[in-house]
Amino acid sequence: MEPILSVERLSKAYTGRGRETRAIEAISFQVNQGEFVGIMGPSGSGKTTLLNCIATIDAPTAGRVAVEGRDITGLRPAQLAAFRRQRLGFIFQDCNLLDTLTAFENIALALTIQGVPAGEIEGRVRECARLLDIGECLDRYPYQLSGGQNQRVAAARAMVTRPALILADEPTGALDSQSARLLLERLTRLNREEGATILMVTHDAFTASYCSRILFLRDGAVFSQLERGEMDRRAFFRAVIAVVARLGGEQSDVL
Amino acid sequence: MFSKLAFHNAGRSVRDYGVWFLTMVLAVCLFYVFNALETQTVIRFLSQSSRADVVQAIRELINMLSAFVWVVLAFLILYASAFLIRRRKKELGIYLLLGVERRQVAGLLLAETALLGAAALAVGLALGVLAAQGLSLFTAGLFAVPMTYFAFSISLPALVKTALAFAAIFLLVMAGHALAVSRCRLIDLMKARRVNQSLARRGKAASLLQFLAGAVMLLTAYAMLLTRGLLVVDALFWVMIALGAAGTLLFFRALSGFLLGLCRKNKALYYKGLNLFVLRQFNACINTTYRSMTVICLLLLLALGITASSVGLNSTVEQMVGRQSPRDAQLTLWAEEGEAQPDLPQLLRQAGFNLDERCAAWYIFPVRFVQDRGAVVDEEDAQAMEALWGEKEAARYLEEEGLDVGATGPEDSVIQWCLLADYAGDKQDAEAAFQGAAETLGREGYGCWYTTRQAVWLDTMGTKVLVLFIGLYLGVVFLLTAAAVLALQQITQAADSVPRYQVLARLGAPEKMRRRAVDMQVFLSFFLPLALALVHAGVGITAANQVIAQVGRVDAAASIGVTALLLLAVYGGYFLITCWGSRRVLREK
Repeated sequence: MEPILSVERLSKAYTGRGRETRAIEAISFQVNQGEFVGIMGPSGSGKTTLLNCIATIDAPTAGRVAVEGRDITGLRPAQLAAFRRQRLGFIFQDCNLLDTLTAFENIALALTIQGVPAGEIEGRVRECARLLDIGECLDRYPYQLSGGQNQRVAAARAMVTRPALILADEPTGALDSQSARLLLERLTRLNREEGATILMVTHDAFTASYCSRILFLRDGAVFSQLERGEMDRRAFFRAVIAVVARLGGEQSDVL
Repeated sequence: MFSKLAFHNAGRSVRDYGVWFLTMVLAVCLFYVFNALETQTVIRFLSQSSRADVVQAIRELINMLSAFVWVVLAFLILYASAFLIRRRKKELGIYLLLGVERRQVAGLLLAETALLGAAALAVGLALGVLAAQGLSLFTAGLFAVPMTYFAFSISLPALVKTALAFAAIFLLVMAGHALAVSRCRLIDLMKARRVNQSLARRGKAASLLQFLAGAVMLLTAYAMLLTRGLLVVDALFWVMIALGAAGTLLFFRALSGFLLGLCRKNKALYYKGLNLFVLRQFNACINTTYRSMTVICLLLLLALGITASSVGLNSTVEQMVGRQSPRDAQLTLWAEEGEAQPDLPQLLRQAGFNLDERCAAWYIFPVRFVQDRGAVVDEEDAQAMEALWGEKEAARYLEEEGLDVGATGPEDSVIQWCLLADYAGDKQDAEAAFQGAAETLGREGYGCWYTTRQAVWLDTMGTKVLVLFIGLYLGVVFLLTAAAVLALQQITQAADSVPRYQVLARLGAPEKMRRRAVDMQVFLSFFLPLALALVHAGVGITAANQVIAQVGRVDAAASIGVTALLLLAVYGGYFLITCWGSRRVLREK
């Protein structure tokens, strides 16, 4: 089966004043259909740069990113926008909802931008909202909702367009543990029931323990990889902690 | 270091706040043009005639208006500058945080304002000198003034006056800045990232009710204006004005909710592209903007009304020329009871005007008082006039003067002796000689009254110039104010919306779609006040035309044409600049 996402020897270097800083160097990995992949690493390990390159927000200096077999590193700006719109969904740390729109309209906007016929919109939004348990707060504005609810609205907005890949950047970063747990359970449900493919960047071991596979980054390269396999979440969490401890053992900058 | 910072900031302000600078420049330019009246060809032409009092009257009126215009411009500039400072609160906060003293921050702002003000003044004056020449050419063409009176000139008094007027405004601005800096608290400055407006929401029923109430008030005011006329200034007049203003306010207050509700009903429209975003954006800020929208709508109404009526009045005044003085010169000598016929040609010759030399045709006749018929001209005299000037001309003269024609006899007493004359040869020369002679007669104790075609023409033209200049002056000032306030608001709003547009970009909305959303937002804010103002103005001008129609024919096409042109140039120009500026703000980040 063709992988949804294939990253080959991806490098990104920032040059400024003659000095070159390598944010990520020759990273390669693949994400298959229906996977829930986490990327962990201390700050400065290149997590965000990697995500930005995949999200086509940033351009890599070398290497190749392919989504559904299509190389996206060479696309022109107009094609990139179309690609982002049609194949990717985003969830950000600060959920990035539009404060002037209701939750419903925030989700619907992702569809109207794609030019989805008006008749389909309400049904698809409600369906998505049901999956994420936000059916009751659709008519409220972001400032009337809790952080967790907002983040689930953002998740609904990311997946309502049925993207090939959902990219989540520290989605639980600003949430309390209760809301974080709820969001992650709903993301897992999306992953299992809808077959959504999710790539999530986090530095939190608890958050990462919901994933099916975790890539650990350090100094711009893949340091280690962990498969969940048949482990339950608690066991997987302990395994993650063990790797994190190993990572932290060599570096005082604890995750 | 400090002056460098000031220079750098000033330079950046010119770039970032182009609208602010442009408004400043245009205000200076406008103020100069209308205070430098002596550079106007038309005024120069008028002042060479012996009736220089016309020019004096124009100048005094423009001076008085300039004081009023100064106040309007001062408010505009203070408002714009306060906008500018609000946008830079964070930057000021960083200066304070870095340990720069308040005094120094205030000094920095003052230096910047001084620099920008000086630059705006210089550019504005340069532009003003050019614009004055342009207006001079335009009005000279309009009034068909010989181009020998045209000259490139600069009015030094106007330059000094403009410079002083705006220096005073900039001093006020500086004082405002100093006050703002001295009163601000660091924590507020750092948190100045615009806190989201609390979006007070009203129910659909309430906004529909408001909308209807506003519409009813407006219709009542319109009906009052059209039935009562424009010139009846009594208590009801003020009720009408109040109804109009309150109706406008309610209309805009309810409009966004009403519009939103209407669009939400139409799903195909609402769920298309960024439409729902644009409507929501507009709705979100309406709570704060409905008041300014009302003010802008009323300013536009003033601008449109004043411009259109002044142009309309102008063409009406023009039709009145020629009607008041059918011949080149006309003199009336009051007759004393029982006096013999005076030798008018001899009297005039003695006073320095030889009728036979100076005139191609002239005729003297008595007007007699006939019982039950009033002032009557003898049939023979009427026939003589017809022979000289044609039947039509003679009839027109008699009708205008209210003279009857009929048989008269010596038993009817003569009330006045009339002279009608057409100059021969150099009309300018003859005119001067005639006026001199008539004045002399008056001084010598003869009860006489005279008028000449040229004097009437100059008088009319003076009135026309006055009406036109005042109309253009006030019209452009109001238009400029309205457009500038809108532009500043929209560009500020664009800057506040940067994060929202970033989200749209991340959601994959293509640049073209986002640009259209920005344009749409600017368009709504420019068009809605204008639309209502146009309706207001339409009703107002209809009422004004009723007044004008009492004295002459109304040339609606000309007045509407000129007004539309002005509107397109100033308002349209600002609209384009605002679209461009908003796009730039949103593209950069």
